[in-house]
Amino acid sequence: MNKLLRLENLKVFVENREILSGVNLEVNSGEFHVLMGQNGSGKSTLALTIMGHPGYRVEGVMEYKGEDLKSLFVDERARRGIFLAFQHPAEIEGVRIIDYARLVLEKVRSVPREKSYDMVVEKGREVNLNEEELKRYINVGFSGGERKRIELLLALLLEPDLVILDEPDSGVDVDSLSLISKKLHEMQRSGKSVLLITHYGRILQHVEPSEVKVHVMRKGKIVLSGHRDLVRKIEEQGFDSLFKECGCDE
Amino acid sequence: MSELTMQDAKSIIEDQIETLKKRNKEPEWVTELRYKGLKAFLEAPHSDPILNDPLDFIVQDEQIPEIHNLNELPEDMKKLLDSLGIAEVEKKYVAGIAVQSDTSMVLNDFMKAWREKGLVMVSMEDAVREFPAVKEKFMKMFNPYESKLAAYHTAVWNGGVFLHVKSGLKVPVPMHLFFIIQNSAMAQAPHIIIDAEPGSYIHLIEGCTSPVLVRHSLHLDMTEAYIGNGAKVMLSVLQNWPEYVHTRPMTRAIVGKKAEFINTTVGLGTGRSNIANPRYFVDANGYAEMNGILLGNKDFYVDIGGEIELVGEGARGINTSKSVLMDESKVITRGLIKAKAPKTKGHISCDALILNSKAKMETYPGLISEVDDAELSHEAAIGKIREEELFYLMSRGLKEEEATQLIVKGFVDPLLKDIPAEFVIEIRKIIEMSLGGM
Ligand SMILES: Nc1ncnc2c1ncn2[C@@H]1O[C@H](COP(=O)(O)OP(=O)(O)OP(=O)(O)O)[C@@H](O)[C@H]1O
Ligand SMILES: [Mg+2]
Repeated sequence: MNKLLRLENLKVFVENREILSGVNLEVNSGEFHVLMGQNGSGKSTLALTIMGHPGYRVEGVMEYKGEDLKSLFVDERARRGIFLAFQHPAEIEGVRIIDYARLVLEKVRSVPREKSYDMVVEKGREVNLNEEELKRYINVGFSGGERKRIELLLALLLEPDLVILDEPDSGVDVDSLSLISKKLHEMQRSGKSVLLITHYGRILQHVEPSEVKVHVMRKGKIVLSGHRDLVRKIEEQGFDSLFKECGCDE
Repeated sequence: MSELTMQDAKSIIEDQIETLKKRNKEPEWVTELRYKGLKAFLEAPHSDPILNDPLDFIVQDEQIPEIHNLNELPEDMKKLLDSLGIAEVEKKYVAGIAVQSDTSMVLNDFMKAWREKGLVMVSMEDAVREFPAVKEKFMKMFNPYESKLAAYHTAVWNGGVFLHVKSGLKVPVPMHLFFIIQNSAMAQAPHIIIDAEPGSYIHLIEGCTSPVLVRHSLHLDMTEAYIGNGAKVMLSVLQNWPEYVHTRPMTRAIVGKKAEFINTTVGLGTGRSNIANPRYFVDANGYAEMNGILLGNKDFYVDIGGEIELVGEGARGINTSKSVLMDESKVITRGLIKAKAPKTKGHISCDALILNSKAKMETYPGLISEVDDAELSHEAAIGKIREEELFYLMSRGLKEEEATQLIVKGFVDPLLKDIPAEFVIEIRKIIEMSLGGM
């Protein structure tokens, strides 16, 4: 198995406040990882740190395909195949989704301009975004669930090696949830590595269960790892009782 | 400081007036008006913050050639027109185009059919000779004693167009007019009259540029727009002046009852300095929009006023500007809306994106109400590009420069809705180019 992402004793600080306190995680190519944890435990911070958010001070090991990620800027990480579907994507007034997607395809994936339009529209259809919607400004005026589908569209277009999705299922209706889950399964089948941040097991409905690795984060650390049944356990008894049980609550 | 004395200037301007008079075979009232302008030039106040001495721009001119069709243009100018995509535009629009070189007007084949329907677009030189109605509209909204520059324009105006749209006529395609400064000697001072009769519709696009490297060029255009009751006029002005041109556009408009005037100025290259204070007067239930996109780079200085007087009941006015400031440019906006009649509404909005800490932006919105039931408001937002937006766009692999260009183009995008697509493409290209060297 090819080692894709390796985090060792990863610490992250914002203005001297420690937010991640030594995360250890390895993601090999083709693996499907699920990251869970209470609100504020540090899941999004981890995702943004891997993507290269400039607002953090980072210590420890963070390697991608054997290369030190820390010295690379966000756009360089993206061009090496890392993708993040944001929990809270930015609104960008005046910039149309289609123009952005086409520019990215052209600059990052060298797709010729005359091909990119149809490509975006076609993929848009797969995630229930029509041409009219694709001509609107990025995230401006879109509902929470729609934003998640815009993020998914970009992930599908870019075909990254490591897809990090930060709560792609929050605020999403039942049908969209099933759609997103199917797309996750497609990614899994096509050999992509996935790091999925979620609060609910339902998003895994179409994902191959035997291959899922689950991690639980608490106060900036991964304190527990397991398989698909760990998700069920969390949903049944909640984090607090789980932490007591495993003795990882001090 | 100019080496000329006022007396020298007087005799140079006199010569220019005589030359223009002879060349244009203009009616007596025109020449009289020119001399009135000359008299005013000697007496009127001068209060330009950049051009200390108006005499700097008065130069003895050898000769002013008149050009009658596009083929007579010098080779390099034809090339320039091509590079501006004008040939393309010409192919695309039946309405035809007009090109003004330094001081004379070139009109290409105009659609005869439209002339018969009641659309007149002729050079101002021809207009004053051939259309007696022009006398009633010419220099009626300006007074040469307002300033030395207004006076100078009155004395030596040359070129420009007279655009007349017959009552009820709706022209479905935009008309294009291009100004090109080639020779620096004489100020380019086109005079434009838009006369839209009641119920008519027209969209005029003016493009301005200067191909030849000369110092101290002055562009001094004057526009008078008469918009009849229920008529709609759109005026889109694209400026792309290089850094040695000073521009002082003067625009006034009377917007009739239930009429609409939508004016969008896109200043991609605003010239070394650009100072303008357009004034619109809006009658009952009329609507005026004054939109400006300003791209400031190098050490450009732009000071854009803009007064809308709501003089009739229910009149509305909107003044919107979006400025992008790079390098050490400075932009000042001073929108002013005066509510003089009941139930009027006015809004001023001023947004600026500052890309360099050495660039400066000032905004002075002014709202004056002389009635108690007017609704007047303003908003302003001046800031840098937001980190979150940049991070989001770059997180899919765009370089910082590419992401910045997207954000800047997006920032001005909402104001480009009335500009034809091929110009929008051109505008975006120019934005990319000016941001490229950041
Ligand atoms: N820029 C910042 N400045 C200050 N505190 C921050 C910053 N970013 C994150 N934090 C704090 O770090 C902690 C972890 O936040 P994070 O967003 O990673 O949580 P999360 O696990 O994604 O939570 P949720 O499930 O609610 O999305 C929170 O207490 C948060 O307030
Ligand atoms: Mg989060």
